[in-house]
Amino acid sequence: MEVAGLRGFDIVEPSSLEEAFGLLGTGDPAVRPMGGGTALMLMMKSELFKPTRLVSLRKLGEPFHGLGESADGKWVRIGALNTFSMLDHSPLMKSHFPIISRTMNTLANLRVRNVASVGGNLAHGDPHLDLPPVWMALDGEVRIVGPSGERVSAVADLYKGYYETTLEEGELITELRVPVKPDWKSSYTKVTTRAAHDWPAIGLAISVQLSGRQIQDLRIVLSAALDKPTRLTAAETVLRGRDIGEALLREAADAATEEVELETDNRGSQEYKTHLLRIYVTRALQDLVSEAAPK
Amino acid sequence: MTEVFTSVGRSIPRLEARDKVTGRTEYVHHLRLPRMLYGKIFRSAYPHARIKSVDKSAAEAIEGVFRVVTIDDIRTVIPHPYYGPAFHDQPILADGKTRFSGEPLAVVLAEDPSIAEEAAGLITVEYEEIPAVFDEVEAMTSDVLVHDELKPASTFADLKHLKGRKGTNIALDHKLLRGDPEAGFAKSDFVFEHVFRSQQVMHTPMEPFVSVADVTGDRMTLHTASQGPSFVRIEIARLLGWPENRVRVKVPFLGGGFGGKLYIKLEALVTALSLLVRRPVKISLTMEEQFFMVTRHPCTFRIKSGVNKDGKIIARTCDIAWNGGAYADIGPRVTQKAGFTSAGPYDIENVRIRSSAVYTNRPPAGALRGFGAPQTAWAYERHMDMIAEEMGLDKVEFRRQNLLRDGRPQASGTILVDAAIEKSLDKLLDIMKWNQPFDRGSGRIRRGRGIAVGFKGITSPTTSVAIVNLYADGSCGLFIGTVDMGQGSDTVMAQIAGEVLGFDPTTIKVIHSDTDVTPYDMGTLGSRSTFHMGTAVRLAAEDAKKKLAELAASVGMVPGSNQPISEIFERRYGMRAGNVIGVGSFIPEYQKPDPETGQSLKVTPFWGVGTNGAEVEVDMETCQFTVTKLVNVADIGRPLNPKLALQQLSGAGIMQYGFTTTENMIFKEGQLTNASLADYKIPGLLDMPREWINEFTDSIQHDGPFGGKGAGETTTIALSPAIGNAIADATGVQLMDLPCTAESIFQALKRAKA
Repeated sequence: MEVAGLRGFDIVEPSSLEEAFGLLGTGDPAVRPMGGGTALMLMMKSELFKPTRLVSLRKLGEPFHGLGESADGKWVRIGALNTFSMLDHSPLMKSHFPIISRTMNTLANLRVRNVASVGGNLAHGDPHLDLPPVWMALDGEVRIVGPSGERVSAVADLYKGYYETTLEEGELITELRVPVKPDWKSSYTKVTTRAAHDWPAIGLAISVQLSGRQIQDLRIVLSAALDKPTRLTAAETVLRGRDIGEALLREAADAATEEVELETDNRGSQEYKTHLLRIYVTRALQDLVSEAAPK
Repeated sequence: MTEVFTSVGRSIPRLEARDKVTGRTEYVHHLRLPRMLYGKIFRSAYPHARIKSVDKSAAEAIEGVFRVVTIDDIRTVIPHPYYGPAFHDQPILADGKTRFSGEPLAVVLAEDPSIAEEAAGLITVEYEEIPAVFDEVEAMTSDVLVHDELKPASTFADLKHLKGRKGTNIALDHKLLRGDPEAGFAKSDFVFEHVFRSQQVMHTPMEPFVSVADVTGDRMTLHTASQGPSFVRIEIARLLGWPENRVRVKVPFLGGGFGGKLYIKLEALVTALSLLVRRPVKISLTMEEQFFMVTRHPCTFRIKSGVNKDGKIIARTCDIAWNGGAYADIGPRVTQKAGFTSAGPYDIENVRIRSSAVYTNRPPAGALRGFGAPQTAWAYERHMDMIAEEMGLDKVEFRRQNLLRDGRPQASGTILVDAAIEKSLDKLLDIMKWNQPFDRGSGRIRRGRGIAVGFKGITSPTTSVAIVNLYADGSCGLFIGTVDMGQGSDTVMAQIAGEVLGFDPTTIKVIHSDTDVTPYDMGTLGSRSTFHMGTAVRLAAEDAKKKLAELAASVGMVPGSNQPISEIFERRYGMRAGNVIGVGSFIPEYQKPDPETGQSLKVTPFWGVGTNGAEVEVDMETCQFTVTKLVNVADIGRPLNPKLALQQLSGAGIMQYGFTTTENMIFKEGQLTNASLADYKIPGLLDMPREWINEFTDSIQHDGPFGGKGAGETTTIALSPAIGNAIADATGVQLMDLPCTAESIFQALKRAKA
């Protein structure tokens, strides 16, 4: 069998963090950690990335694995090497974060979901990915280990720019922690403009805390049309503490489209994506309100 | 009288189905030969640039690299390394300059394909960029010349006058004139003129291009995924200056072709490489490299019609520029064959057509399912709806009033025969429930529906030859050059032979293309196989049957008796020995069109006829739309295997649906920006219309084998305008360019408001 397009490189599977740090800390950008490897494969096929060594994290044990509720039930811990399918099939996730399995339906395909990992997805930095904006809207935070110790970062602070993260060389995401907020509702809208199955032209993750029709608090995160997933704070400010109504939604949509400058690409012009953002911000909020407080 | 058939007309399963689903089917991708080298192509980075120098040293330094080859090396084995079916314009590797970004410029050979690939990435080239031209209309008058001189192939007699022509990008200018269009416009009550555009798309077969060349002694053997093995042999023999019998071309099954795997693709390159190194050489393209092999012509079509108050079309002119990219491939034929039907299936007294094949600095374009007819129908059927809309005519009745009917001359002067255009329209309207009330939606959701009628001529004149070999035990081998690339030709050809011979078609062995063994066939293309090869197979089987009867009579047996065939052979030869060989050869009647007027009494052996209907739902806020229903009705004569025919109609429709809504090669200054299937979108299951209906009319092609004719392209012709017309019906705005996208509706609505 011919294996087309694969250059020679090493895949190593360290069994301790120390060993992993040693293998990663070479200063060579062609050495990278690997979760499921699905995103790396795409980059390798298109020759954007030519590895010399991939360091698989799958044998690193407990800190990267497991999925469970904290003792006080206030947050859920998701080991970075959980696959998307594991999240999709988890009753715990389904009851606390139904948005996740709804998002899975439109995310890649079953074979990718069976392999792609939560941590790899977060560390990849591709602004078109569907889950990072969702974790941001849920106030998720990641635990990061590195040669110089351990730290915690909000998912929102992970991204610096296009494919750029705040992870330092050798740093690894071990787990994601998501607070459980029973009185919040959330949704993710993946807007595709060519085929149904495509990278999003825009991705919109929203979570809201409602009291009747009043928005107590909320997060609006826009992805795909920007260089990184981005909180739409101006729109949030317009909405926070106010009653949902047509005029307010218009005001919020104005704020959302004014605070970001979207990018033109093969999925749509800036003008069209801005038009879509205006509509989908409005629709998503309306849907969340009517879901929580049916008229 | 109803004819009773025992073999044709039945939906027997594909003969190869079991082998395919159990993974036993042979493909060239599986082939490995002793001492075989793998070639990896290095491609140009610029659309139009002089090649100042090529530095191969870093690539050659990689351990395991056998050789790095450029055009200078190729010349040592093939002194004139230019090929092509219509023009000898394409160098085996870029020669002095590159004409499109992605053009093969060098090849690395290695025993390990991954080493070849790694080394290819180390080749560096010094270029001098020169001005480039990408748009087909601009290229017609541009000072930027893609080729210095036209080099028509001698095989196409009608292109001879172009030899040596300089200072132009127009490779071929096809003309048709009937009546007096200008006078027709002058006396028409209304004149309408519109410009439509089609985008560049590609074939995307699941099996990418792959070829192996193996020179041994004074013989060259090619194993190649080709739709036209006979042409490959002819062209390779010409390049080498060898007699055809020293070149052997073998083709197993193909994983799709759609017109891409015709003529010469990788074959000239692997032939040259094998000659250079005297070892077998294989090149397998990746899915992504296919974008730089061959594509479908983008086109700009200016159509103008003069219409009387009562809805009668008096005159029509068609000016079409076909963007053929850097090399002509079969583009000039597309220009002619799609050109002469580009006024649509309408009875119009005054018609002028100018259809031009144009060179640009884009990847080459060639044949793709429909051979240009879908691009022309996008224009003429959108044009019909726009005229009806402006004049307030009923869109169906306006068409019906002008429809071409059997017995009437088409624009070329050829009389229409066995073209069930109106019957197909009637069936479509019936399935669409056109006369019943239609829910047009409310609020932000608007619904619309549209229909379109298409037809096409068939490449002519072309020849097919078949051999039926009856072995002494009474079993049968059928030797044909038709390539089964998924359409099911093996099965249908066996059904035809089985019908004549009285054999169970599943017992007939179809022997695949091997030019040492199988006779000539022009190619598996353009809906021609059922009609041409089908007829040759019928004739071969009849010949064998006659000879068998003679043999039986010669040994005192009653021909056609129920005694086993083996008995005839045993009596004749004293043992199980001998063969009965039946030969069938077919070339349909044809009259070359007049070069100035395009007029001909017989321009096509038969007509491909199809109608399409669509219902769409548009979100008027986001402009996103869903095709909720698609109906395709085709006249395919008598379906020789109804199930396979429906699969073909369906497959062709899905393909055209992609070309209508999702697929688009997007270029930025000559660079393809979406050369991957992640960003070049083929429709998926979720994109498919909820209702997807394919049907054929109750028709007979009187001179086709058992009343049959081709079915591979029919549903592609008018599917795009059916969707475009439905979108216009729903939104009130007219899309002029393909593909139809949410954003194109958004922009059209914005223009309409302004």
